[in-house]
Amino acid sequence: MAIIRELKVCLLGDTGVGKSSIVCRFVQDHFDHNISPTIGASFLTKTVPCGNELHKFLIWDTAGQERFHSLAPMYYRGSAAAVIVYDITKLDSFQTLKKWVKELKEHGPENIVVAIAGNKNDLGDIREVPMKEAKDFAESIAAIFIETSARNAVNVEELFQKISRQIPPLENPEVDSNESFKLTRQAAPSSRRCC
Amino acid sequence: MALQTAEEIAEQMEESEDILEHDVQVSPAEEMPGDGPVEEESEQLFLPWDRFSAWLHCICVVGFDLELGQAVEVIYPHHSKLTEKEKTSICYLSFPDSNSGCLGDTQFCFRFRQASNIQPSLGCFLDRCDRDAPVCLKRDQGHFYGYVYFRQVRDKSLKRGYFQKSLVLISKLPYVTFFHSLLKLLAPEYFEKQEPCLEAACNDIDRWPTPTPGKILNLPIMGVVMKLRIPTCYDKPGTSQLVQSTPGDSLVSIVLPTIHEVDLFRCFYPVFFHIQMLWELVLLGESLVVMAPSPSDSSDTVLALVSCLSPLRYCSDFRPYFTIHDSEFKEYTTRTQAPPSVILGVTNPFFAKTLQHWPHIIRIGDMKQTGEVAKQMKVKKLKNLKTLDSKPGVYSAYKPFLNKDEDIIKQLQKGVQQKRPSAAQNAILRRYFLELTQSFIIPLERYVASLMPLQKTISPWKSPPQLRPFLQEEFMKTLEKAGPQLTSRLKGDWIGLYRQFLKSPNFDGWFRNRRKEMMQKLEALHLEALCEEDLQLRIQKHTEVETVDLVLKLKDKLTKAENEQLPVRAGTLTKLQTHIESIILSLPEDLQGILHKPATL
Repeated sequence: MAIIRELKVCLLGDTGVGKSSIVCRFVQDHFDHNISPTIGASFLTKTVPCGNELHKFLIWDTAGQERFHSLAPMYYRGSAAAVIVYDITKLDSFQTLKKWVKELKEHGPENIVVAIAGNKNDLGDIREVPMKEAKDFAESIAAIFIETSARNAVNVEELFQKISRQIPPLENPEVDSNESFKLTRQAAPSSRRCC
Repeated sequence: MALQTAEEIAEQMEESEDILEHDVQVSPAEEMPGDGPVEEESEQLFLPWDRFSAWLHCICVVGFDLELGQAVEVIYPHHSKLTEKEKTSICYLSFPDSNSGCLGDTQFCFRFRQASNIQPSLGCFLDRCDRDAPVCLKRDQGHFYGYVYFRQVRDKSLKRGYFQKSLVLISKLPYVTFFHSLLKLLAPEYFEKQEPCLEAACNDIDRWPTPTPGKILNLPIMGVVMKLRIPTCYDKPGTSQLVQSTPGDSLVSIVLPTIHEVDLFRCFYPVFFHIQMLWELVLLGESLVVMAPSPSDSSDTVLALVSCLSPLRYCSDFRPYFTIHDSEFKEYTTRTQAPPSVILGVTNPFFAKTLQHWPHIIRIGDMKQTGEVAKQMKVKKLKNLKTLDSKPGVYSAYKPFLNKDEDIIKQLQKGVQQKRPSAAQNAILRRYFLELTQSFIIPLERYVASLMPLQKTISPWKSPPQLRPFLQEEFMKTLEKAGPQLTSRLKGDWIGLYRQFLKSPNFDGWFRNRRKEMMQKLEALHLEALCEEDLQLRIQKHTEVETVDLVLKLKDKLTKAENEQLPVRAGTLTKLQTHIESIILSLPEDLQGILHKPATL
């Protein structure tokens, strides 16, 4: 029988970039055009298979509004992964993302898997953040990178699959390397093929 | 005998793991939308703040204002209703009352009378939750609990030289351990991050599942998931069903093995030579006061006293922390009447004088300096108690009915010498009290069950038969053959203990509850008998007026059965509904219209 592993995951990023929409698409496969801003954080779970394990994502979808900024440590504390979301049509939101990367590096858990998601890629015609720039940045910090569209259900599953693959399996040091890396300055990033 | 055997424990652990596994075993394909906090319950039933109010009445922040003294600074959610009287109570009860050196963080609990009776909008839903809860975990009618996290630290920037503030959860639920764990997560963050933190926490709580006994509940709060199970009244007493299967990361999730049990051994340690006598005093509803150096000591001890009767409910008033400002101060301390049947926990030295006339006083020293305490063997004379500085111990002239059980004392003492873990000592003590209470209560249960009329006396066409009355002498006679000697090796004046108990509020509360349950059972059996009848045949023999009367009566019964959730066999109510429909259809059309109306309105 598969082991169920609880993995805490937090979503960070500027207000209005679509954090809740990504989670809603991932967990409920649903998109709502008018959702109200999150207060504090919302909590949802979803279990996905990964090799011999089942990953139960405990997802803390944090509020992007500035007044809740100070609460963020409660959500990234103990997290196995952080998804930092920006809006490809808003350059500002990419700047905010960089601040989150910095904060995680300074105060976040040491082995946290970081994923960068450029959301709203269905609005390519009003894009402000070039894909290459974001991708290069992600590479420079050894983070997962993906552009998503919560509205059109593009790459949302993939985002979480990539995270799953980055999580080192329990009691199994035998691993082969994968396309993305952990944020830490530690030795060889390791992961294992699964799913 | 006292401690569970290793097998039993292993068995329990297995059970609990099964439950846990079962709970989390959801294959991805079946993953429900909102697999998160919402599960099962139909969401549209709940208005905003309904879920919150199923757990909490409100959250208060109590601070110290140099001009006003203690004041409620914030009430969250802002629309929560508290009367001025209630606010005043909360203010005084949320701060340590003596100048005890409560430096740093302190947690304690208090209980106060509800000034007005506001029914929450989801009242009937809560009743259903309460029905399955053990008696001692039901919502407290008429009282609120206040769970306090008090912080006092030096702060030169403040005029008073100290930062003093309490975060207080107000609830009707007696889940002491749960709320204290919740506060441990919430309060330190609040003191640092202020209002957004409360806003986030309340928002989290408002998406929790309602407190339903028997289910494993996942409660996300402030970045952590609390996992717990509210016991049901059907659980085998003395078993805990939720254990942490694997050591987890407390930043991710926390498993609470209990939501309400206090550490009995720690609380009773200063007076543990007298535990059996204390059990008798609590059982008989005697006036008891606990004088302690701090509100956390007083509230822990009072809660331990109340819970040592479990599964029996302590029915009189109890105040884990009581102050001279309390609105019941006069009522409880008057010398013109005999002391009331209550348990008070106090810290103000003033009470040593005010309550000098009370028959039983427990004096707790500083719980941290426990070295010499265990030597205090003798019950002390009351006149020796002058001030709060008197020596720790039990001050009483009470002569216990039962002989002292030396074994439990020896067992605990041995544990102290061998440095047995506190959790194990607590388990021994809890088991001891459980067996004692059960030995005491089983003969009563047996006798009361015999008051139930025989099944054959239930006739569908007569009102349900009455319960036979409780006759004290008749009960006493049953003790010869079926008394506590069957389950307890303790000797002593059990008869005397029962006689005294029958006069106490605890018996009254217990018997009322039993009576109510049995009457509902009778109603249910009666209803089932009625459903088995051929009603069509019956109405053929009766006039139209009588038939209409029957329909109205049946409808009444149906409503009552639904409202009171009578313990009927599955399908009975649907059957009754069908009977009603078919009788109505056999009536003339004009009458049909009239009889159908109320149902569709």
